[in-house]
Amino acid sequence: MLRLWPLLLGVNFSFTGDGERNGTAVGLDNYRDLLEDPLFRGALRNVGLLVLLLPIAVAIPGLLATFIYLRVPGHRLFRGVYFFPAVLSPVIVGAIFNLLLAFDGPLNAVLGGAGIGPVDWLGNPHVAMFAVVGVHIWATFGMALVVFLAGFATLDGALLDAARVDGASLPQTIWHVIVPGLSRTIQFVFVTTMIGMLTSMFGLLYIMTSGGPEGSTYLPEYYIWIQQGQMNRPALASAASTVLFMIMVVVGLLQLGLLRRSGRTE
Amino acid sequence: MKQRARWSVVLVAGLVLAGCGSASEPDSSSGGSDGKLVVWDWKSGDPSAASYIERAKADFARKHPGVTVEFVAQPFEQYYTLLGAAIQAGKGPDVMLFNGGGQIRDRVDSLVPLDEYVGDDRQRLAGWEAFTKDGKTYAAPVTLQGHPIYYNKSLYQRAGLDPERPATDWNEFVANCQAITRATGAKCFAQGNKEGIGIQFFLSGLGSGVLPPQEYDDWVAGKRNWTSPGVKRVFSLWKEVNDQGLNNDGASSTAMFNDAFAVFQSGKASHVIGLMSDIGHWKDFAEFLEARNVGVMKSPVVTAGTTPSLPYDGGIGYAVAKWTKDPKAAADMVRSLTSTDALKVFYADAGAIASDTTIDVSSAGPAVATIVSETKDGKPALHVALSSKTLDLMGRLSQQLLSGSVTVDKAVEELAKSDRAG
Repeated sequence: MLRLWPLLLGVNFSFTGDGERNGTAVGLDNYRDLLEDPLFRGALRNVGLLVLLLPIAVAIPGLLATFIYLRVPGHRLFRGVYFFPAVLSPVIVGAIFNLLLAFDGPLNAVLGGAGIGPVDWLGNPHVAMFAVVGVHIWATFGMALVVFLAGFATLDGALLDAARVDGASLPQTIWHVIVPGLSRTIQFVFVTTMIGMLTSMFGLLYIMTSGGPEGSTYLPEYYIWIQQGQMNRPALASAASTVLFMIMVVVGLLQLGLLRRSGRTE
Repeated sequence: MKQRARWSVVLVAGLVLAGCGSASEPDSSSGGSDGKLVVWDWKSGDPSAASYIERAKADFARKHPGVTVEFVAQPFEQYYTLLGAAIQAGKGPDVMLFNGGGQIRDRVDSLVPLDEYVGDDRQRLAGWEAFTKDGKTYAAPVTLQGHPIYYNKSLYQRAGLDPERPATDWNEFVANCQAITRATGAKCFAQGNKEGIGIQFFLSGLGSGVLPPQEYDDWVAGKRNWTSPGVKRVFSLWKEVNDQGLNNDGASSTAMFNDAFAVFQSGKASHVIGLMSDIGHWKDFAEFLEARNVGVMKSPVVTAGTTPSLPYDGGIGYAVAKWTKDPKAAADMVRSLTSTDALKVFYADAGAIASDTTIDVSSAGPAVATIVSETKDGKPALHVALSSKTLDLMGRLSQQLLSGSVTVDKAVEELAKSDRAG
């Protein structure tokens, strides 16, 4: 009850007006405003983009964990180094990458040295969202890596030895032995990475792009914050929160179903 | 199962019932218990504002010995979010600090008009317009905020230009900039539009050199013709300046606060449209460039027949909440916060141009002296007249203009639509 009651108040609040119409019931006006606002539609599109980028965000820690498990030279060092960014707060990570990705920053200097023209990482609307997602993956994959390593601990070493004796190449070993053996771990990482992407990008966006350029890096969370705090439209923000909540419910249910199904097949 | 169904019925019924009424009661009164005033701002925590607050408190204590005053300093990034929540709940501070323009005009429903209390301060203080809506004043100005064009005199000298005679006409201005770039490598403008603030400063900083005086006054008065040649010229000039390479590189990914100011301070750009108070202003620049090297100029004449002036408004000011128990005492607190004595200290410690025009500023260097002398003929800044929603849209459109994904015609059309809506 304590959890549901404020939620219901919020939903109810989203059917009231802002400013001069404060407190009066306005029906679905706020939701109509949302649908007509290109900024909010852009924010939803970006959520879709995050879902599309999810496999990459899972594959990177998966591959790196595989290399560590297969004891590539220096794997002890890599294990520590990869985990390190996970302990940094998004604000610090954002500030670091603001410097690195600045137009006259070190990354562009390196590119310039290689004869490639500078890229306006955070100023080009076609690039900025990928830059921020890239930084988010960099900052958080350490946690997924640890989960993968824990999964490897349960993998039967005899299977790998058998594969090696049979002369399987590395890609063959990964595809036929490691991926099937880790299917539950992979699913778990998918779910947690998705939740991480949808709920904890705010800090990075706030520090790195402020939703810009051209509003290209808005996510629903950031939109809610802007409408409530800067535009003084709390009821519209409530409507946006309700929409975001619905999306999270749907995504959450899908993922629960996925986890449950995999639990049954084991 | 039965239990669960019953719960769902209760929840749905509750939702329907609540949906019929209103979720908030904007007129409920609370806060401001007897004998105590609560003041919200984002300044009183700064060491540089400490003695200002002390003076104001002492002044207020003389008038109302029985009333205790509590200052609550909120973080500025969260200020309007917290204030919005307080307003929504009808509970909050008795006196609160506001930025002039959209931020206060959007919230006048929750404020007490101060006209009957501040009559005696009218002449002494400047910058009232920014806190006025529909003829009523809702806050008393503490500082003046505006957008002088600062220039780096030592770069002018190195390029063989006379630093005491900046250009008065746009073509001459661009020629000077090109001479400076040839001689020193410095760009013309330090520009930061990552947050969409660059266009606001550009519009206000150069607006008086583009719009004819009558159109300028109409704009401020709310009669805005977005498709006039003058308004379109502002936005085409915005694009032209960037296309000609007059801005520093990556304007859309450079933050105005404080990366763009850093570009100017480090001598990598010869001009910046900055602020008068608080930050990005004469005091900050003087720390890096020395006070004698910081010049202030009016906008060059872009369109013949215009009379450039300093764009400025009331910067920040204190307002009184509607739910306060004793509006007279709260208004007296506002008057104490804008007394000459307190403002003199604020000017000296915090480096703000105070709203009190009787304060002597001659010792602070040529830039301040120029700014204060120009306030006499100054006019309200163009962007301050716009709502925060239109400003937000203008920020995004200005980035699209620079990247070429929108035309000037399309941009002013969308801005006109947003401005009409509200």
